Amino acid sequence: MVTDQTVFLFTGMALVFLGIASISYSKNLVKTVMSFQVVVLGANLALFASGLDTPLSSGLGTRLTTDTFVFLSILVGAAVEAVGLAIVVNVYRKYGTLNPSEIRKLKH
Amino acid sequence: MASDILSITLSIAIIATVLIALFSKRVSVSLISLFYASTLLGIAFTLYGNALVGLMQIVTFSGAVSVLFLTVILMTGESKLDIGATRFTIAIAAGALLIVLFALVEISMGFGGTPPSSYPDMSLQTFSFLWEFRPWDLLILVTVFASAMVTVANLFSKET
Repeated sequence: MVTDQTVFLFTGMALVFLGIASISYSKNLVKTVMSFQVVVLGANLALFASGLDTPLSSGLGTRLTTDTFVFLSILVGAAVEAVGLAIVVNVYRKYGTLNPSEIRKLKH
Repeated sequence: MASDILSITLSIAIIATVLIALFSKRVSVSLISLFYASTLLGIAFTLYGNALVGLMQIVTFSGAVSVLFLTVILMTGESKLDIGATRFTIAIAAGALLIVLFALVEISMGFGGTPPSSYPDMSLQTFSFLWEFRPWDLLILVTVFASAMVTVANLFSKET
């Protein structure tokens, strides 16, 4: 019997792995930040799914706790992405490209 | 059973949009797919019992972060909206329409009408009031963010 929790947990895991794989081979810094956003989305989904079958009451290990962590994770993820995009703009201004390998060549 | 089908459909849609976002060579297509993925995730959060987290997801990732991405893509000039501002506008408008339809379905099914419990406290009655209007809130938010994205796209576009 496949529950909603299992489906969302596996989807979240898939998103995290896809995002990490994309970060490692991406050739555009903007797409790297996008891949990071996918990782954050996957982590949020997995965290949300982990609380789906738990009782809705106060205390640790309940749905309220996981939902609060998802809420915090969304805010922190958005802030990190804003910083990442600011770094991308600065890198583009300095080196004139967003390709990490070209940036590495220009540094040496 | 219907819930299983819904969760599997949402999961497949989310993974498909994410795959397009990660493996597309056009950055603007990636951005549109990411917008759809964030929106679908927000819809999943809302459908599975936490409207506040769903709204926050849509406001933050589909709204603010997408506009930020769009601005950076157009500022760096790497992409220059390679699919054209008109197509981009249509794609974003379709996403906004998806959320509007979802909110209308939610309103028609009465999801927005009943608070989770009766609140005796006055301050909690405010939350109760806000809870009643959450689908309408979603409608207003999506209109504002879709128009922000379209405005930014047209601001930097060479077609104008």
